Amino acid sequence: MNYRMVGYLLGVILSIEAALLFVPMLTALLYGEPLMPFVFTILILLAVSVPALFLRPKESRFYAKDGFVCVAGAWILLSMFGALPFVFSGAIPSYVDAVFETVSGFTTTGATILSDIESLPKGILLWRSFTHWIGGMGVLVFMLAILPSVGGQAIHLLRAETTGPQKGKLVPKMKHSAMILYAIYFALSVLMAVLLLCTGMPLYDSIVSTFATAGTGGFSVLNDSIAGYHNPAAEWIISVFMVLFGVNFNLYFFLLLRRYKEVLKNEELRVYLILCMAATAVIAWNVWDSFASAEGCIRTAFFQAASIISTTGFSTVNYDLWPDLAKTILLCLMVVGSCAGSTAGGLKVSRVILMFKNMGRELKHLVRPNSVNVVRMDGEAVPTETQRRVSNYVCMYVSFIAVSVLLLSVEGFGFETHFTSVLTCINNVGPGLAKVGPAENFADYSVFSKLLLSLNMLIGRLEILPMLVFFTPTVWKKT
Amino acid sequence: MNIVIIGGGTVGAAICAELSAEKHDITIIDGDPNAVEKITSTSDVFGVVGNGADISVLRKAGAEKADLVIAVTSGDELNILCCAAAKKLGAQNTVARVRNPEYSELMALMKSEMNLSLTINPELAAAKEIYRALRFPAAAKVDTFYRGRVEMAEFVVSESSPLCGVTLNELRSKLNLRFLVCGVLRGEEAVIPNGLFRLNAGDVICVTAPDEELSRFFLAAGEKKRPVKDVLIAGGGRVSYYLEALLQKAHIKSTVIEKGRALCDDIAQEYASATVVCGDATHQELLLEEGLERTDAFLALLDTDEENAIISMYAKTKGVRKVVTLIRTMSYIDFFRGVGLQSIVSPRSSTASFILRYVRSLANAGSSHIETLHKVLFDRVAAIEFRVKENIQGLTDVPLKALKCKKGILIACIGRKDKVIIPTGDDVINNGDTVIVVTAKHHPEGLEDILES
Repeated sequence: MNYRMVGYLLGVILSIEAALLFVPMLTALLYGEPLMPFVFTILILLAVSVPALFLRPKESRFYAKDGFVCVAGAWILLSMFGALPFVFSGAIPSYVDAVFETVSGFTTTGATILSDIESLPKGILLWRSFTHWIGGMGVLVFMLAILPSVGGQAIHLLRAETTGPQKGKLVPKMKHSAMILYAIYFALSVLMAVLLLCTGMPLYDSIVSTFATAGTGGFSVLNDSIAGYHNPAAEWIISVFMVLFGVNFNLYFFLLLRRYKEVLKNEELRVYLILCMAATAVIAWNVWDSFASAEGCIRTAFFQAASIISTTGFSTVNYDLWPDLAKTILLCLMVVGSCAGSTAGGLKVSRVILMFKNMGRELKHLVRPNSVNVVRMDGEAVPTETQRRVSNYVCMYVSFIAVSVLLLSVEGFGFETHFTSVLTCINNVGPGLAKVGPAENFADYSVFSKLLLSLNMLIGRLEILPMLVFFTPTVWKKT
Repeated sequence: MNIVIIGGGTVGAAICAELSAEKHDITIIDGDPNAVEKITSTSDVFGVVGNGADISVLRKAGAEKADLVIAVTSGDELNILCCAAAKKLGAQNTVARVRNPEYSELMALMKSEMNLSLTINPELAAAKEIYRALRFPAAAKVDTFYRGRVEMAEFVVSESSPLCGVTLNELRSKLNLRFLVCGVLRGEEAVIPNGLFRLNAGDVICVTAPDEELSRFFLAAGEKKRPVKDVLIAGGGRVSYYLEALLQKAHIKSTVIEKGRALCDDIAQEYASATVVCGDATHQELLLEEGLERTDAFLALLDTDEENAIISMYAKTKGVRKVVTLIRTMSYIDFFRGVGLQSIVSPRSSTASFILRYVRSLANAGSSHIETLHKVLFDRVAAIEFRVKENIQGLTDVPLKALKCKKGILIACIGRKDKVIIPTGDDVINNGDTVIVVTAKHHPEGLEDILES
């Protein structure tokens, strides 16, 4: 492994984090809150990262494994340092709790250990929501967009951080690809914040809600989440944007280039939208009686379906009290998640499509053993290599869930709680059911369980492999 | 520039790596997904899997808006077809590798009909490179600038050489010749030297001098090698075939040893002056019988790299003064340099550098224009020829000693009309001059880039 190069890149990442911390610090300044938590964290970050910047080696050779280690290391370090403001400010006294909260932020999960959110300082809460925005598109992608020039081998970083079964660039230059992604992300975020302002939501709340929606995170600054605003127009806007941020960002790029055909023939988008609609319809029908107005019922059903499929995890209602059918639909949406190349988590719609198509192919093959069958996606044959990777991914995903549920069951909160805790964390959703439902939180779990769930969140966000590689001893050998 | 490269073989990959480092937007097309994957994970380029002559693939790769399409697949016909299709789609310039000599006249005739901006024949490019190396036997490699008026030669300082232990300033006053040592490779590190630099035995140095004075420099430097009068060539393939034409023109006697009867006949029929021997050039007795020990130069141009390397080493042990080895596999080149073969020629790397030179001359950077670019000292140092098109603030009409150049940049030569100036601190660069800049670290795109910003 190229230790110097990885060290240098990690140094860059941490100095970026230091720079990003100025955003909540300025907010704290604006609201007259103590600045010390941020100042200390920035100083510590600089003390660690600046020496690392001198590590830049002459030999910048960089392999896939270095990319994986770098990405996994970056996310772990970001969370460990990002947790400091919570501890220093006394908002979350326990460091492990703070790490859980920060990992949940960066991985855009939105699972919290806080019960009384409204009492915390505005600067701290802004940082908490801002981590969603940073983690949504990925901090290494951000680094690639701003760093003057990284060699071609840095593609391994982009691949390890972006999501989905087939990863590639939009344009020949990686830097430009990263810049385009961030530009789209930024533009959509600004549009959403402006729309929320128009509905009468205060500026601060519009911004933090936008952070949480854009990253498909789900942290809110109210104890009752979005329901606390009692603002139907805002709920509609947030629902629509949750769906939009779950769409593959490449498609927005094609829209900008007026390559409409490629957007129209995109199977993943179609299935994703159909899933959203169908889930909304069934849930609305299932919970019809508990609402006074049809608009309220459909709005809530759509909001909840969009919130879960986009793995955001906002809530306008305590769906833990809903009938089994509605709850099970939400659990299924959790697993499916959104489109590849979006800011959302989950298995990704394209993987699910490929999985089912592959099943169909196996069946066809069983019925007619000599037939030659090809799996197609968007009208093009999918390479066997990609299918193999998807199958492997699903296997790893299921085994991680099984092992995590097993380890978590020591706690004895009941199967529903443990199972949905793991599911909601690995899919980066946020709330689960029962004791971790939308009206509850993760505070009761032990230190070990919190760390386990944090690991689950990181595994889910980075799509398993980078974390696995990171913990493989042979990778750490010097080359 | 937007560049589409069709064919992800050795040449395609080499061009990708070079050009993507220079801020061009590159798309590579190859039919083999693995080849595309390999290139996209090492170079910052976009990959498309498919046939380069397929219109939908070309569209996908953005050939419609490309400034340049380069076709370097293994098939001549496919390359021509790709270029024709790309040009029809709207590509500005097209380059095709066409290696079959039977097409060469056709190409000259139909270049415009087939919409080709440039065709390259790798074997011909290699033959030309070998021929250049023969002109200055003391040099391992010779590149030319300023339309052939300026030469840049690489050679190793031997222990007995009078250059040993002399600083460059002393050397200049001693020799009274127009020359400049513009790069030194010591061990693994390439240095752009100043006047106080002291040469050691084992240094590889790179010398610029006007065409007519380079041979006098070699004489003065104690390299008493006469010009090559006769050569012994092992192998009668295409490179030999093209080389014979050049040798014949220069009245250099040549003996070709070739195993295949048909190839022997070809050469014997085409070139009256060549002596053709039908036999196996890997046999020591045959080589000795054909005068290996007496020949001025030995060229190993067989089909197998390993055979070429082995007979070259044998020729060196027999004291042949100049040995040129043809190595086709580019990744072998460094291995064989390591065991002491200095003059190595490779059709693929010749092709790649030929294409790169063309691309760089297309990239027009405002006030100055890149005419040629050669990589010297094992690709560690770049020598770039600029033509100044307008006055540049802080550069033109300023004495060189007053220029604020970036570190590690040297102005090696100035060409003004028919004059070649090896510059001293008092010389100035004028509008319309040709300037040769040598640099180890920077990638100047225009002349103004050499100045400290």
